[in-house]
Amino acid sequence: MSSNPFDSDEDQGTASGEILEGFLCPICRADLKSIDVLTDHFARQHAEEEDTLKSVFNIFVKAKKKILNNFEDERGGAAAGSSSSSTAAGGASSSANGNGADQRVLSNARSRFNVFNYMSKQQVGAECSHFEYFQSVRNPRLERYASETNKLIIRLHRLLKDLPTDSVQRKQHEQQTVAWLDGTSVKLCPSCAKSFHIARRQHHCRLCGGIMCNDCSKFLALENALQLASLSTSRSEPMQHMHQGDSAIRLCEHCLWLLDTRQDMHESRTCRPLLVQVYEQIRQLQKDVTPDLDMYLKIINSLHEGETIFTITDASALRGKIGQVAEAMDMRSKRILAIYCEPGSREESLKKAIRLSCIQAIKERMLSLPPLPNEAHIQQIQERKRMETEQRILTEQRMAMEAYERYGLGATTIQSGGGLESGTFAQGSDLQSINNWSAPQASTSTSKSSLDDPLIEQINIIKGYIKQARQDMNFEVVETLELNLRELQREVYERQRKSQNSAAASPEVEQQQS
Amino acid sequence: MNLISGIKLYIEKMCAESGPGMKIILLDKETTSIISMAFSQSDMLQREVYLFERLDSGRSNERLKYLKCIVFIRPTKQNIQLLANELRNPKYSAYYIYFSNIIPRTDIKYLAECDESESVREVKELYADYLCVNPNLFSLNMPNCMSNLNWLPDALTRSMQGITAVLLSLKLNPVIRYRAGSQAAQLLAKMIYEQITKDSTLFDFRSNMDGSAPPLLLVLDRRDDPVTPLLHQWTYQAMVHELLQIKNNRVDLSDRPNVPKDFKELVLSGDQDEFYGTNMYANYGEIGATIKTLMEEFQRKANDQKKVESIADMKNFIESYPQFKKMSGTVQKHLCIIGELSGLSNKRNLFELSELEQEIACKAEHSAQLQRIKKLIADERVTIEDALKLVALYALRYERHANCDTSSLLQIIKSRGGRAQIVPALIEYAGNHVRQGDLFNMVRITDAVKLTRNLIKGLKGVENVFTQHTPLLKETLEDIFKGRELDPVFPAINSELVPFRRPPQELVVFIIGGATYEEALAVHQLNNSGYKIILGGTTIHNSQSFINEVLTATNGIQFKHTKSMIKYCSTDNI
Repeated sequence: MSSNPFDSDEDQGTASGEILEGFLCPICRADLKSIDVLTDHFARQHAEEEDTLKSVFNIFVKAKKKILNNFEDERGGAAAGSSSSSTAAGGASSSANGNGADQRVLSNARSRFNVFNYMSKQQVGAECSHFEYFQSVRNPRLERYASETNKLIIRLHRLLKDLPTDSVQRKQHEQQTVAWLDGTSVKLCPSCAKSFHIARRQHHCRLCGGIMCNDCSKFLALENALQLASLSTSRSEPMQHMHQGDSAIRLCEHCLWLLDTRQDMHESRTCRPLLVQVYEQIRQLQKDVTPDLDMYLKIINSLHEGETIFTITDASALRGKIGQVAEAMDMRSKRILAIYCEPGSREESLKKAIRLSCIQAIKERMLSLPPLPNEAHIQQIQERKRMETEQRILTEQRMAMEAYERYGLGATTIQSGGGLESGTFAQGSDLQSINNWSAPQASTSTSKSSLDDPLIEQINIIKGYIKQARQDMNFEVVETLELNLRELQREVYERQRKSQNSAAASPEVEQQQS
Repeated sequence: MNLISGIKLYIEKMCAESGPGMKIILLDKETTSIISMAFSQSDMLQREVYLFERLDSGRSNERLKYLKCIVFIRPTKQNIQLLANELRNPKYSAYYIYFSNIIPRTDIKYLAECDESESVREVKELYADYLCVNPNLFSLNMPNCMSNLNWLPDALTRSMQGITAVLLSLKLNPVIRYRAGSQAAQLLAKMIYEQITKDSTLFDFRSNMDGSAPPLLLVLDRRDDPVTPLLHQWTYQAMVHELLQIKNNRVDLSDRPNVPKDFKELVLSGDQDEFYGTNMYANYGEIGATIKTLMEEFQRKANDQKKVESIADMKNFIESYPQFKKMSGTVQKHLCIIGELSGLSNKRNLFELSELEQEIACKAEHSAQLQRIKKLIADERVTIEDALKLVALYALRYERHANCDTSSLLQIIKSRGGRAQIVPALIEYAGNHVRQGDLFNMVRITDAVKLTRNLIKGLKGVENVFTQHTPLLKETLEDIFKGRELDPVFPAINSELVPFRRPPQELVVFIIGGATYEEALAVHQLNNSGYKIILGGTTIHNSQSFINEVLTATNGIQFKHTKSMIKYCSTDNI
C-alpha cells in the first residue's frame, strides 16, 4: 500500500497548520458528521477516484481494528506499522506544538524571570572623539607658551647665576642680562593705566624688561626662582643674607603666570605623596590576589568533584595566603586613613572612599569565599575515585607485566628504542630521588626496567617539580604539571600494553623466520 | 537592545580609558542621575572612582594633583563655561572629558583655548543622555513638557537630544514616524530628523546592509491615551510608583509612619536587587506569595544560623554571613514596601475603586457605572484624589454620551472640596477632539475585524477584573508588527527609508507627555515574544504627576470644548 491514507491526511493537516477532527473527507476535507454521510458524499462527489475511496474504507477498517485489538494484529503488516508510527509521530509532534504554545502563553502571561539576567551581549554604543581637533587648537598655543617660558627660564638662570649682593651692582647685573625698556616716553602704567609721577615710579620686569608701576608688580621668591632655574640652593647661600625686600625678583604678571604654570605642570607630573604610594601598594595587592581567588574557587570545585590534582592542604594554604593579603590591604587602607589632612576637605572624603572600597573588596571577594570542604567528605570522594582508577590501573599493569614477563624478548626492542631518548631526559634526573611513584611499579615489575624507562624518569622529574610548585603556591603550574603527569602515566600504560602486544607478536615472527 | 547595559558600557568605557589610578568624577545634575540609575556607588568605587562632585558645586579650590578627573556632563552653555573655568585653573592632574551628547565645534575650540596647562587627555561624545529605568524603558525626567498645549522650548530640545542619544547608543538609524495630527509629535520628529541629517556620519551604521527592514522610531502623544496613567496599577513596579512614587529608582518613605529608620529611602534597581528584577512585573497577589516563600526561606536560614554550638558552626556562620546579611536586607526591604502597599490599598478602598476604574475603561454601561461612581465618590474612605480620578475617567469615556452627567458628579467633588477644574482641563488636554485611535473600542459596524475581536473578548470574559485594561499602545505596537499600513495614522518623515510593508526589526517608541509603567509592562510582554521594543517618555507618570502635567499644559488656554463645565473651570471658587 504505497499511498498511505494517513500520510496524505497528515500532510494536508500539517500543511494548513491545524488538526481537524471528525468524519473528514480526505479530498475536500469537509466535516461530514457521520460515517454514512461521508461514504455517501464520497461516492457522489469523488466517484471517479475509486482508489482513494478504497483507501478511505481502509482507514475505517484500520481504525476499528486499532480500537478493538489495541494494535496487536497490526504489527505484522509493514504498511500498517508505518501508518501507526506516522500517527504516533503526528501525535507527538502535535503535542509538542501544544507544549510550545503553552510555553509561549506562559511567558506571555507574566514572565517571572529576571529581565536583567538575560541581557544579550551588547556592543558599546556610538561615540565621537573630538580630541584631535582639540589638540590642533591647543597645541600650537602651548608650544608658543613653552618656548616663551623656556626663554624666561634661561634668562632667570643667567640672572641668578652670579647675582651680586650689593643693590647697585645687582641692578647693573640685572640690566646686563635683560635689557630694560626705555621708560622716558611711557607716561602711563601699561597694565593699570595710571600715570607715573614721583609717588608712582616706573619699575621693570626683571625677565622681559617691561614697564609697570609698583602696584602691578609681582614678586617671585628667590627660593622658587632658584628651583625654577634648577640651581641648587646651597650654591646661593650668600644670598640668604640679603634683606627682606631684595629676596624676591620683580616680575610682570604675564612672566610670573608663565613660570607658575610651568611649575604647576611639573608638580602635577611628579607629585607622588605618601597617599599615592600606599594606594598603589593596595592596588598591586588586589591585582596579585585576583588569580589566587579564581584558583581557590577552581581548587574547591575540583576537590568537590573528587579530582586528585589538588589536595585539601593546597586549598587551605591558598586560603591562608589570601587571608594574609586581605590583612595587608586592610592595614594599608587604615594607614591611608591615618595620614593627616584638613577635616572636611576633599582629601578626607577621598581617603574614606578608599578605605570603604578596600573593606568592600575584602568583604565581597575575599571573605565570601566558599569555606574549605570537609576533609573527611573530600577524602571519601577521592578514595572512591582513587579506588576505581587504581583498580583499573592495577589490572592493566598486571596484564602488561604478565605479557612482558612471558615474552621477555620483546623488552629488548623497546629498550633499544627508548635508549636514545633517555639521554635527552637525563638532565633532569637530579630530581629522580623523589621517587614515590615508581614504588608500586617496582613491586610488580623488575626495578631495573622501570628506572630505565625514560618516560618514568620524566614522570619522576615532574613529580619533583610539582612538589616545588606547591611550596611556592604556584597552583597554575601545579595544575598543568599534574595534567602532564597524568598524560605521561597514561602513555606509560599504553606503551606497556603495546609492548605486550608486540611481544606477543614477535615470537610468531621469529617462528616464521626459523 | 538594552538601555541599562547601553549606559553601563559607556560608563565602563570612561573609567577604563582613564587608565589606573585614583579618580574623581565631575558631573552635572542630570548626569548624576543618569549614572546613579545604572551604577551604585560601590560599583564606581571598584572602578577606582572615589569622589563624586558636581561641576556646579563651587567647592573649595583644594588641589589634588595626584587625582585623575573624569568629566561627564551634558553639553549645555553653562556647563561649558564652568568647565572652561576649571581647565584654566586645573585642580587635578589629568582631565578626561566626556559629553553626553553632540557638542558644537566652537565649544571644543573654546575649551581647547582654556587648557593652558595641557591637562586634557581626552574629549569625547558618549551618548549616555537618558535615564534608563528598565532595560526597555527610559525617561528624560521632565514632569512638565508643555504649556498652552505646545512644547516648552527647553523640553523640546531635551527630548530631541534624549532620543538621538538613545538611537546612537543602540546604533540605530531609524525611519521616523509620528502621530498624525499631533503638532508636538510632528515638531519633535522633524527636529530629530534634522539632527540625524546634520550628523549623518554619526548615524552611518552599516547594520541595515543585509536588506532587513530599518528600525523604526515612533513619536506618540500622551493625549491619545489619557486613560492609562489614570488607572490604578497592580503590578509591583507600577503600584509602587502609583502609591509611593519612584524617583530615579528611589522610593522615599521618610514621611511614612512605622517605617524603620534604615528604610527611609529605598533603592529599587532590578539590576542590583535580584528580587525586584524578577518581580517588578508580577502582580500584587503573586508578589505576596513570593515574599511569603522568601520569608520562609529566610527564617529557615535564620534558624540555621541560630544554633551555633561548635566552633565549626561559628566558622560557618561567619563565612556565610555576608550573603546572609544581603539576603535579610532584601527581604526586609520588600516586606516593608509590600506592607506599605497593602496598608494603603485597604485604607483607600482600592480594590473596589480599581474594579470600577477598569470597568469604565473597558466596558460601556453608562447608567450602572454612573450609579456606582456616585456611591463611591460619596464614600468617606475614598480619598478625594481617587474620587476625582473616577470622575475624570467617566468624563473621558462618556464625553459624547447623550446622558453624560459629568456636571452633577463634579458638583459632588466640589462639595467635598476637590479640585474640580482638573476634569475640564483633562478634557481640553485629551478629549475626544484630540484623540485618534479608538481608546475605548468604540467600534463602527463597518470594521468587521475589530467587531469580531471584541465579541470574542466579551465571550471569553476576563481573567482578572483588576487587570482587564490594556493600554492603547499595545494595540498600536501589535498593528506595527503585523505590518499594517501605517502611513495614514503615523506618517513617516524620512519616507525614502520606508520599506515596502515590512515590519521593523527594532522599534523605539517615545511618548510626549510621559510613559507609564503599565505601558512598559506591555512592551515587556511583547519583547518576551521576540520583538525588540524600547519605550521612552518625557517622564514616567503616575496618576498624580499626570494630573499635574495636564494642569500645567492647559494653564492659560481658552477652554473651548468644555462649555458645559465652565463653572468648574476657575480655580478661585473652591
